[in-house]
Amino acid sequence: MIRLEKVSYSYPDGTPALENINLTIKKGEFVGVIGKNGSGKSTLALQLSGLLKPGTGRVVIRGMDTRDPSRLQGIRKFVGVVFQNPETQFVGRTVEEDLAFGPENLCLPPVEIRRCVDMALAETELEKYRHRSPKTLSGGQGQCAALAGILAMRPECLIFDEVASMLDPESGIAVLETIKKLHKKGKTIVYITHNLEELHDADRILVMEKGKIKIEGDPESVFSDVFLQDLGLPLPSLIELAANLKTHGVIIPWESTTSPQNFAEEICRLFLRT
Amino acid sequence: MKEPVFSYVPGTSLLHRFDPRIKIAAVMLLGILTFRIENFEGIAALFAFFFALASLSGLPMKMFFRAIKPMMLFITFIFLAQLLFTDGKVLVSYWILQPSLEGLETGLKLAARFILLLLFAALLTASTNPSAITCGIERMLRPLPLRWLGITSFELATMMNISIAFLPLLFERVERTKAAQAARGMDFVKNPFRSVPALAIPLLRGVIRDAEELALAMESRGYQGSRRTSMHELSIQKNDWKALFVLAVFFIFVLFL
Ligand SMILES: Nc1ncnc2c1ncn2[C@@H]1O[C@H](COP(=O)(O)OP(=O)(O)O)[C@@H](O)[C@H]1O
Ligand SMILES: [Mg+2]
Repeated sequence: MIRLEKVSYSYPDGTPALENINLTIKKGEFVGVIGKNGSGKSTLALQLSGLLKPGTGRVVIRGMDTRDPSRLQGIRKFVGVVFQNPETQFVGRTVEEDLAFGPENLCLPPVEIRRCVDMALAETELEKYRHRSPKTLSGGQGQCAALAGILAMRPECLIFDEVASMLDPESGIAVLETIKKLHKKGKTIVYITHNLEELHDADRILVMEKGKIKIEGDPESVFSDVFLQDLGLPLPSLIELAANLKTHGVIIPWESTTSPQNFAEEICRLFLRT
Repeated sequence: MKEPVFSYVPGTSLLHRFDPRIKIAAVMLLGILTFRIENFEGIAALFAFFFALASLSGLPMKMFFRAIKPMMLFITFIFLAQLLFTDGKVLVSYWILQPSLEGLETGLKLAARFILLLLFAALLTASTNPSAITCGIERMLRPLPLRWLGITSFELATMMNISIAFLPLLFERVERTKAAQAARGMDFVKNPFRSVPALAIPLLRGVIRDAEELALAMESRGYQGSRRTSMHELSIQKNDWKALFVLAVFFIFVLFL
């Protein structure tokens, strides 16, 4: 689907951002990417979407090399990125017009554009804000509108670069729920965050540090990786609690660490029975 | 919430349904006509034409008056200048002021012209979706050899759209930067020489970052500055031809008045 082969990249001012990355994103996967500020996450997102060309190495998106200019529009149609700040992603005076921007760039006929816009509005439950200015939306709604702007282009793969980091926790969870729904419908998702808690249900997690992928694996193995603490990434509290209980010989299965309710039930099951 | 002047009021009237290109062309023609007319009959005819169109649009009249109001000071100034500084038959003499009859006439005509111009423009913007206006302008510019200027009609239209959509963000940034500098003890009133750079530099930095983020988001959505389509379907209907015909008849009528 998306393949990075020995990709390195430095910004024009000489700042190294990625170093020898090998990575394959498979169809239908939910890949979480985590790392501290400046670890190269955003640069990775730009490489995965063809918005930046690799310095050395190769990025192939569904058979299309990102350095081939004739494939650019094909790549845009296939993969879209939602960024951190909703305000700098709006180009339209109304939500509807904003969502039309992508399909208009793909040169679709007007009837088709309207269909794409309607579909994207329905998928993000923003129909009632159709004629509102995107600037008047709340942070969470704004981020949903930015997501809808990408959805209107009907990409198969969506990349989210810290989309929840400027939102209050509640709207952040709502946006993540919308993304998970899209994943269930078959979209391939790359979700970048600095909050491990959000990656509990990911298929795979990549931990980045200084432009390299340091740890890679399913959430259970990544969360228990001893290097994680060295990288300064705090564990979700339930995971940490389970790890502490483990040192005392109490094993809490991974499935029970998803929510406090499940965790409590597991503890009751373990102790009240005996 | 107070609506900004010259804003679009959605509707389904005949005027709303005309092709934006016809409406833009009509406003340009009427604008030319307004400044070609020399007699009061012509000006009266133009006002009558405006009221006919306005009632056709089904929009409240007070909306149009709101469009003139902010310009009223300027129009009054022009009127007074003409009235007082045109040589001719003196009406009354008061101190050094000698308003003339000719001055009154040219002053009234000039003021009426500006008012007509504003009214027709307000009629266009109130009855046409703004992005349909830019789309119409883009289609009208497309045959021009803009290539020589290193720009396409598509880029021009997108630029118009973006700057309108981006302006509020700019104002917000000015306010935020001002608040941040004030919090650090900057006094904008007492110390303008130090405060201007203190405001301008972080502001510029912020604006450049915003622009970079926006450019990236636009690129991610497939923007290339080349050919693109529009959600608004522009097609000249029978009604548009009829409107154009009516306009032409009116044009000739006023010129011969
Ligand atoms: N436009 C840029 N120009 C120069 N250096 C940059 C630019 N963007 C990011 N960098 C640098 O590249 C490195 C990786 O940044 P980034 O990919 O944004 O990390 P993250 O998203 O994980 O915070 C950092 O050292 C950062 O300072
Ligand atoms: Mg980043």
